[in-house]
Order: sequence, then C-alpha cells, then structure tokens
Amino acid sequence: MKKIVTPITDEAINQIAVNDMVYLSGYIYTGRDAVLPKVLELIESNGLKEAGIDLQGSVIFHTAVSPAGVGPTSSNKLEIESSIPVLSKAGVKLHLGKGELSSKTIEELEKYNSVYAVIPPVTALLESKTLERKVVAFPELGMEALHLLKVDGFPAIIAAAHGKSLY
Amino acid sequence: MTMKQQEMIINKIKDTLVRAGSTFREDQKEIYRQAIKKETLPRAKWALETILEDAEVAEKNRSPLCDDTGIPHVFLEVGPNKSVTGADLEAIRMGVAEGLRELPGRPMGIKGDDKQRLDQSGGLDEDSAGVLPAPILIKQVEEDVLRAHVLMLGGGPAIRGITHRVFHKHSVSVVTDEIVKRASEAVALLGCSPCALSVGIGRSQFEATALMIEAMVYSDFTVQSDLEKEITDKVNESNVGPLGLKGATSVLATFMKVGPQRASGIRVVCLRPSCCFEPRMASVEL
Repeated sequence: MKKIVTPITDEAINQIAVNDMVYLSGYIYTGRDAVLPKVLELIESNGLKEAGIDLQGSVIFHTAVSPAGVGPTSSNKLEIESSIPVLSKAGVKLHLGKGELSSKTIEELEKYNSVYAVIPPVTALLESKTLERKVVAFPELGMEALHLLKVDGFPAIIAAAHGKSLY
Repeated sequence: MTMKQQEMIINKIKDTLVRAGSTFREDQKEIYRQAIKKETLPRAKWALETILEDAEVAEKNRSPLCDDTGIPHVFLEVGPNKSVTGADLEAIRMGVAEGLRELPGRPMGIKGDDKQRLDQSGGLDEDSAGVLPAPILIKQVEEDVLRAHVLMLGGGPAIRGITHRVFHKHSVSVVTDEIVKRASEAVALLGCSPCALSVGIGRSQFEATALMIEAMVYSDFTVQSDLEKEITDKVNESNVGPLGLKGATSVLATFMKVGPQRASGIRVVCLRPSCCFEPRMASVEL
C-alpha cells in the first residue's frame, strides 16, 4: 500500500498509477451534488480565499458528513462528475468516490495531472480513521455542506490516472 | 398493555435495529471469508477484506456499517396463540425511533407536505428518527412465537431495484434468464457490490415485493437452492466484481421466494440488488 499525504504535489501524482492501493492521510474536503456546484461558482467569482477554501493539492471526497459517518456516493452523478474538470484545474489533485467515470472525465483528469480513487463504503472503518471534522462553507446545506476532515489512513484504490482507468 | 410491557418492546426493537445496522450475521461473515479465499484478483480481494474489516469495527463499536443507514422495515411473525395489538405496533414504532437515534441513523427524513416531500423543498429533519419506517409486514407462522425482524434498506439498491412482469412462456429458464439479465445490469451500476440478490415472484407488484422482503428475512448465505445458485453463478459471469473493480465476486448469494401463482402469461418479479452490507437485518422475540 502506498501512502498519500495532503497537500498532494504534482511529483506525488506522478508516482502513482491506476491499480495502486493507497492510504490517504491529512486534511481532505468533502462535497457532493448539492455543494459542488456552489464551489464551482466560488471558483468562477474568485471567492475561494474569502470562503476559506484552499484547493491547491487538495482532495475532494464525494460524501455527506452526518452523525452516521461518511461514505462515498456515486461520483458519476451529473453534478459531481461535471465538477471534476473545473476542480482539477483549480488545484484538486485527488477525487475520492465510487463508480465508473466517463472517458471524457478521465481525459480531463490527465490534462490537470489529477487522479480519481475509489474508496470502499466502509463507514465504521473510516470513522475510526477520522480525527477532526468541521464545516468550511455553506452550512445551510447541513450534512451536505463543504466539510474539512483530518484523516489518517483512509483506504482507497487509484481508479483513473494519467489517461488510464480500471474500467 | 402495561408500561413495563411497552418499555420491553421499545427496548428490544431499539437494540434489534442497532444490531441490524451495525452487525454482520455469522453466515454473512462466512460467505465473505469464502469469497476472499476464492478471489484471485488482488484489488478485488482487498475490497472484500476491507468490507469485512469494516464489519468487525462496526460490530465492536455498535456503529453504522454504512453511512446510508437505510429505511427501517419491520417484518412480524405471528404464531397461532399470539396476537398483535395497536399498542404493540405503536411500541414497535417507538422502538424504531429510539434505535435510529442510538445507531445513529443518517438524518435524511424530508419534512413538509406531499409536494415538499417530492421536491425536497421542505428541508431535512435533523432528528434521525425523522426517517419513518415502512409499513409493517405481518406473516402468520406455525411456530408459536411473536418475532420481529428489523431490516435496514439502503438507497443504492432502491435506485437499481426493479419490479416488473416477465412473460414466462411456460418456462422456468425464461424467468430466471430475465432475472439474470436485469440483475447483471443492476449490479454493474450499483457501485457497492458484491450484492445479495433478493427476489420475490408473485401475482401483483405488492405480493412480489412482500415476497422479496420475506426472502431477505429467511436468508442464509450458506444455504442456496439450485435456482438461487444458478442465478448467482450466471450474474458472477459478468465480472463486475467488488465495488465494480472486476473480479469473480459480483454476487455473494441469491435469496428468492416464489409465491403462489395464477393461470396467466406473466409472473411479477421484484428484484433488489442488495448492497455489500445487506441484508442488514436482526431479529428478536417479543
């Protein structure tokens, strides 16, 4: 198992390939279909800094954060998958979720040297590896707000990287 | 009903719901161990091992197996000399609410009137118990017992599940081939494989769905009929694998309940591609 720590550099991305099983540690953002379009609006309006969001070398985990814990939702939902190119261009290095992505999205990931990883829906295990959590933006969305988690060793597998994919 | 009897039912249902949402049954653990042993693709083996590890942590902490904690469904078995009163059903409802708060269940109940609940404009109920249980199913049984089974049904399988007629053409294989076709497509799209295929075959949409629930209630991963095994093996040929990562284990087992049928050209088939944690179910005698 390889280890990935945030913030993730371009050099670190160059070291990983499709089929690599990894442990992910550090601070990661969470967001799914309700909040990601709002983050895209912030990117467009240059509002990220004011909102306290730093996407350079970051990870976006496609999940809600509820009292039940976290777990991936399908990354190929329209609002989520369509956010991937814009977020990658803005600095996100790893998109964490589940399900197959389109070949177009995989090309976009390659263009910005970003990757996609699948994380099993193992909520109890992920809870045991989550050290901190807080709402960063859009608190009105409740469990679908943009959260920041500090995690230690989330298990994942690289499913799309450098123009290749598992699917 | 006395206060003490009511409290007893509430506590038993609460505990059963928490077990359903946090605990793999022994036959479920065993089928995972067998699948891990058989799986040759390293990433598929890793996915299965991680799911089993999650089950161990969830059981130890009595915490949710998955963040989609599901919609509570209660199935009651009622023996010849047992009865169920309105007060019993109310105590069961209260036990479900308490169980959701203790698990805790994901607070995903939608508030508001019909239109607001449809378009989700009424907002979310912050109380985990705002996720109301589905209507209770009651089955008459020969054993003289009053037993409750609590099932927690997640959203992914609900998206991919299908209830639709099959023109059987007086052939069992026509029916099973259609189930395999529908299941193969559903499993590929689910994302949270390996699945347990839950199937009910009846004369109406209601009956088929009730039979599908019953198939889950009486499920045992280590006991499979010839038909169930045939469906499992054929869907596994699709090579979807755990979490869609390819591999031999797309489906762990099939649970099928065939009900009474009528003279007709169709059979109504309810198919639920239950996810890698399902059936999340626990049982208790009341």
